[in-house]
Amino acid sequence: MLSLRIAVRFLLKSPIQTVLIVAGIAVGIAVQIFVGSLIASLQSFLIDQTLGSSPHLTLTAKAKGEFIDYNQALRIKLKKNAVVKAVVPQRTVSAIFVKGSQSAPLSIKCADATKLDSIYKLKSKLKGGDYSLGDNEIIVGSDFASGQNVRPGDMIKLTLASRAVKELRVSSIVDLGNKQANETVAFAGTGFGRAALGASVNRYSAVEIQLSQVFQSTAIAKNLAGAFPDITITDWQIEQKSLLSGLQAQSSSTFMIQFFVLIAVALGIASTLSISAIQKTRQIGILKALGMTDGRSGTIFLWQGLFLGFLGSLGGLLLGLGLIAIFSVTAGAKPGSFPITPQTTFVIVSVGIGLAVAMLSAILPSRRTARLDPIEVIQSGG
Amino acid sequence: MADRLLQANGITKVYGSLAPTVALNDVTVSLDHGEFVSLVGQSGSGKSTLLNMLGLLDTPTSGEVRLDDLKTNDLGKRARAGLRNRRLGFVFQFHYLLPEFSVLENVLMPTLISGDNKADALSYGHEVLELLGLSGLENKSATELSGGQKQRVAIGRALMNKPALVLADEPTGNLDTTNTDQVFRLFRQINKDLGTAFLIVTHDRRIAQQTDRILEIQDGKLIQDVLSPV
Repeated sequence: MLSLRIAVRFLLKSPIQTVLIVAGIAVGIAVQIFVGSLIASLQSFLIDQTLGSSPHLTLTAKAKGEFIDYNQALRIKLKKNAVVKAVVPQRTVSAIFVKGSQSAPLSIKCADATKLDSIYKLKSKLKGGDYSLGDNEIIVGSDFASGQNVRPGDMIKLTLASRAVKELRVSSIVDLGNKQANETVAFAGTGFGRAALGASVNRYSAVEIQLSQVFQSTAIAKNLAGAFPDITITDWQIEQKSLLSGLQAQSSSTFMIQFFVLIAVALGIASTLSISAIQKTRQIGILKALGMTDGRSGTIFLWQGLFLGFLGSLGGLLLGLGLIAIFSVTAGAKPGSFPITPQTTFVIVSVGIGLAVAMLSAILPSRRTARLDPIEVIQSGG
Repeated sequence: MADRLLQANGITKVYGSLAPTVALNDVTVSLDHGEFVSLVGQSGSGKSTLLNMLGLLDTPTSGEVRLDDLKTNDLGKRARAGLRNRRLGFVFQFHYLLPEFSVLENVLMPTLISGDNKADALSYGHEVLELLGLSGLENKSATELSGGQKQRVAIGRALMNKPALVLADEPTGNLDTTNTDQVFRLFRQINKDLGTAFLIVTHDRRIAQQTDRILEIQDGKLIQDVLSPV
């Protein structure tokens, strides 16, 4: 491997130039890894914050006020879908809380306690009391509790739409992270909902679905709509267009940053290798005069590209992971911030891109070297 | 004909097309195995152009160059590179050593290019360095040597693949009188000991007269081909 040996010697002969170009690639790749992981983690954090405790798809009956039939076919269809993370069939009971001259409306989501927790993460939001939803128990929001002076263990009276009055025990208080929801939303068990609405076994106000991959909601909604034409599907991507466009804008701006960083790295490598090829013209010319073929001399700079790309990508990988670690123990550890998780696929792709860019950047000087006529060097003298 | 190493028949080299310059004009010359020949002429007379044609570094506009009776004009660049590597050795006015490599590696370079047996090459490389009085300098960088030493390393490199012919273009042009005499004596010794043919381009008549045969070129034409009076 004479061309590899020559490539290494050329690089070692100009150590500062070599170190600078490796550092250039390393910084480019490190920025790729850091910015990519930062944006991906930020996006995942934002999605978790905004969509992590809410349904991504809500199935209701076509006719307003009617119940949806949560039949066997629909259950199987949802169960078979690997992206479906949680399914909560629930009945929504409207009620008015009355205490003396004061009153407050409540929208009570009635479902199995475990299932409700799988979407709304209620256990982690407890502000008081025990997480329990027996037949006569209710969980209320923190603003409702403070406004109406209600504590865990208190009995509250609710007037339902049917004018029936029900008395329920407050098992716990939760903070849903939104003032309006904390004032008006409450949770109760399956039995209460069924009795309050007089609905039969498979009849629900809505079937709420949470997905492991939120951006697949539209595709799944389309698939469900085809199979069950008599249900209405509410998709978060349609309901929360501003959030979606914000996330998309973030993704495209990240892509642009990464694209221009790559261009800068590629131009840096290509120009340095081209200068190196010009600097080594005399040596290449003599090697050719001594019998080295065009193809073999051309591979010298391809080896250099590969070598620089490998070292630069390796350095960039370490630097990028180092930056992520530093961010995690400084800015990322502050309250309200989020942790950066290195994105494995992204890291592999970035390193691969580093190598590929270095190799592609070496093509031009390599072709120039292959075309060099030794006579040009010999005639030009020392 | 059995001893014929190189034969150039009516070679002409024209540079440029809009304002053509004739660098060589219908030159016919031959070299036998083991010959020790000089090529003289004034600056710009076409000496180096002829040497480049005979060394397969350049191709003539017309005429043919035969090496070992093989017509080289029609050969591809790869085949010509192979012939240069195995059959010819070059010594230039400027030593053109590779500063990235040691003295020994520079000498071994033609063998590294041909990929021949490394152990044999290494042993022969040391022999060549000893012959050239460069023993002990093997691992030094080529940049650390004096001008005379550098040119001797370049000679060593030219001899490495045991070529049939060494083409030397003003090999002593950058050397003082002592080093010039030393290099010339080396050429003579190698010619006698190894039977290697030499074609030495020089403008120094004193050197030319010490060779066995003198070729003279003027305005691209071979005007003299005589045996040396010495």
